[in-house]
Amino acid sequence: MDSFLPVLEAAFAPGNLAWILFGVTLGYLVGALPGLGKGTATAVAIPLTFYLSPLAAIAFLVGIAKGSTAGSAVSAILLNTPGEPSSTPTAMAGYPLARAGKAQKALKMGLFASVIGDLFSTIVLILVAQELAEYALGIGPVELTGILAFSLVFIAGLSGRSMIKGLIAGLFGILVSCIGLEVETGSPRLTFGLIEVYDGLPLIPVAIGMLALSEMMIQIGQRQRLQEEADLLRGSGIREDRVVTLGDWRRSARAILRGCLIGTGVGILPGLGASVGSFLSYGAERRASGRGADFEETGAIEGVAAAESADNAVVPASFVPLFAIGIPGSVIAAILIGAFTIQGITPGPLLFLENRDLILGVYMSMIAASLFLLLIGYFGQNVFARIVRVSPALVMPIVVFLCCLGAYLQGGGAFGIGVMALFGVIGFFAKKYDFSFVTFLIGFVIGPSFELSLRQTLGLVTDVSELLDHPVALVFGVLAVFGVWRLTVLQRRQREAIVGD
Amino acid sequence: MPKSDLIAGIVLLVFGLTMLAVVIPTQTSEGGDATISPALLPQICSVGITGLAVLLTLQATGRLRRGMAAGVAVPAAEWWALLAVLLAVGAAIALFVWVSPAVAAVLLIVGPMLYMGERRIWLLAGIPAALLIGAWFLFYRVLGTAIG
Repeated sequence: MDSFLPVLEAAFAPGNLAWILFGVTLGYLVGALPGLGKGTATAVAIPLTFYLSPLAAIAFLVGIAKGSTAGSAVSAILLNTPGEPSSTPTAMAGYPLARAGKAQKALKMGLFASVIGDLFSTIVLILVAQELAEYALGIGPVELTGILAFSLVFIAGLSGRSMIKGLIAGLFGILVSCIGLEVETGSPRLTFGLIEVYDGLPLIPVAIGMLALSEMMIQIGQRQRLQEEADLLRGSGIREDRVVTLGDWRRSARAILRGCLIGTGVGILPGLGASVGSFLSYGAERRASGRGADFEETGAIEGVAAAESADNAVVPASFVPLFAIGIPGSVIAAILIGAFTIQGITPGPLLFLENRDLILGVYMSMIAASLFLLLIGYFGQNVFARIVRVSPALVMPIVVFLCCLGAYLQGGGAFGIGVMALFGVIGFFAKKYDFSFVTFLIGFVIGPSFELSLRQTLGLVTDVSELLDHPVALVFGVLAVFGVWRLTVLQRRQREAIVGD
Repeated sequence: MPKSDLIAGIVLLVFGLTMLAVVIPTQTSEGGDATISPALLPQICSVGITGLAVLLTLQATGRLRRGMAAGVAVPAAEWWALLAVLLAVGAAIALFVWVSPAVAAVLLIVGPMLYMGERRIWLLAGIPAALLIGAWFLFYRVLGTAIG
């Protein structure tokens, strides 16, 4: 207990709480703006963390991720424009409610479901991650190679519509991670004589370019549509102040519980992402209610609850593989690896041995962030509802400026901005041509670990028959091959069904 | 969209072959006493990308032959937006290096605002001023560090 008190003191110190509060508010604000999601919000905010303590830095970023996930429901319900794809089901069930004058009710239920999903998933993270890390400590390089290969295949297959494109994105990410001094010989590799890249390409400018700048390029190209949506709401005057009644809670309780379970399960599996969680939960509630298309025609408070609880449960759960094994299962987790690295900390099973106090502090901060989410969302609802009306012509340039500021700070000056611009262009084409930028980023982040474990594996295993001594690696290797086959077949069927329709 | 897949497949095929034939041999050392060549992983990735690009190209060709709609991946407005943002960032870097960081930042904010149709002078002046003062206050005063 004595050793736990300093952790509590650090987590609930006014300075740390202020950063969490700032993070949640900033995240909620960015999430509420149409077209801006949690990836953009977190990537752009990373530079602010350079000068913070490790606990405040991680807590701030987690606050942003949580805030922006919940905040994206605001534009989904009010404008029918999800802040990010995972809020699409919220828009489907919530926008008709807003048109019927029940915007306040839908926003409140969305917030309550978000907080419950987020808190539930945080508790699961606290209970599961350390246990899993203890098992992970027994994993050797051969097993790690198998697990990393399997994770990448799994992510490649699930984060886009084409397995081929997903694998290309993942391999491209690993290839880009090879730039810099080679680990064993220290000789420059793919550097083109640039000393600036001897330590490898900096993660933050790459992430900001792929996530935020590319998104801004696309959004600026769609400025007319965004402006029309903002104008539409300005003239509509459809909001009506309503509360969440006991009857609403009765209708939504089952949906929230199911959403928590689905979102947490989806979050723990690398690569599935929040969209899968929210759509699965929404679909399950739609079927269970027996109302069918009525959900989208008249709106459904339980639909909003189902989608938001699952969407928000995904974020903390996606930290389970990150904290326990060091594998980022989502974009947010990949960005958090960058933040951990800046602070000199390596995520993975040793985290619980070497930085136990930090991780406990992060857990406490995550719970505090959930509570702040409730307060900020509830009392700031009217403010955020006004913010979604701000013209994109004012918002987008500010985000472009913040992107450059972040890339400048972590990327070594103007060089960092150049790297960001290059990956902004790559990200733009990746998004337009449907290549998963998530898989690219995760490949880029796990590339160095994958190379190291592959080298050790090739040193340890000189004959294929020796793989029999590593059953875990074999199982993951077989699963990777099976995953490629199975996911390819599933995607082909989906495409054929779409063509058939 | 098979046409965009075909374009992507061909571009990636050229990229993969260039990596294997030119970039990796010239930009990677032999490795000397290293147990495994430094070129191994880049080669594995490039071979993978090339092979998958061939598959993507063949798949797209097949779908085009079956008469599937070609579609447009990037509308003209988005091409212009891409160009505008790149111009703003490029000009900002040049101004940053040769003139001053503050001027570069103003251009970075005002350029996209003008491109997006903002013409109100008080906003064109006020937003860059507020952002620069905010960044100065946050980094120099609150966080106690320096930019530039």
